[in-house]
Amino acid sequence: MGNISFEIGDHIFVIQNKLVKPMKILSIKSRRVNEVKAPDMVIRLEDNYGIPFIDYDVKIIKDHTKITYQRSDYLIEVDPDYKEATLYVHDELALKHALMNLYSSFIVHHNWGLLIHSSCAIEKGKAHIFSGQSGAGKSTAAKLSHPRELLSDEASILKITDQGVTVYNSPFNSELDSSDLEEASLASIQLLHQSLSNRREKISKSDALLQLIDKVFY
Amino acid sequence: MKRYIQNKTYDVTRLDDEYVVLNTDNYTVTKLNGVGGFCWSLLHEEQTVDSLLEAIHKEFPEDEQPDEGEIEEFIMDLIQCELVHHVS
Repeated sequence: MGNISFEIGDHIFVIQNKLVKPMKILSIKSRRVNEVKAPDMVIRLEDNYGIPFIDYDVKIIKDHTKITYQRSDYLIEVDPDYKEATLYVHDELALKHALMNLYSSFIVHHNWGLLIHSSCAIEKGKAHIFSGQSGAGKSTAAKLSHPRELLSDEASILKITDQGVTVYNSPFNSELDSSDLEEASLASIQLLHQSLSNRREKISKSDALLQLIDKVFY
Repeated sequence: MKRYIQNKTYDVTRLDDEYVVLNTDNYTVTKLNGVGGFCWSLLHEEQTVDSLLEAIHKEFPEDEQPDEGEIEEFIMDLIQCELVHHVS
């Protein structure tokens, strides 16, 4: 029940676990680290909140002291500088979604990158992303990529700089074993649509941007 | 003649010859082609349909030039997306 430090992407998070019910916090692939440098954010976890999942609607309220993200099964309170957050959750699903919501907001707040609904397979050291809404086939694409290694099967972490985009190993995996690789540079993004026939079409950058907007996790 | 100008709360990204404009007030996203993006850039200052047409004629080849009706329709679309307003 003590403090646990995790490194995700370039950042270190200290988690203060005050959960009464035992819950899996992050994938076992997420790297635990010693607290050798100051954490970027301290996250306190508490349970006995709300009711089970109803829908994905998140109500966001901002004032000068804090930002809150509220769903039927979780409540996130975070300070405006994204240094400290408290997550009140109903169950393990709520905890996972709240952590992803918080992490996504954190990296956008710092203009560091994006958390995208997608799986990511590695081919010759380069990352290839398969993105789409729930049910579009992200995990299927990941499974069919075998024996290629996977960085993620549900959400990919993208660090965006002037030099390029780097994809990081995600601690938000659902079921598949992910790779021991920690990062790879982005080579392609596939936007998945269910269809009876399989084909790959190149789309314009502007259409790609528009279609990626609602694939960002929050 | 009616004059139009951009609203001020937006973020624009140019990708190849196309423009993606985010309205940061109502979080709508609008995609513009090359001619549309050129008009959008000019609407940083007050423009009329005629002034836009004149500028397009100087900048683009004849087969890419819209007519007056298309420009009017384009302006109406931008107004509906709350990206441009009529200067009274």
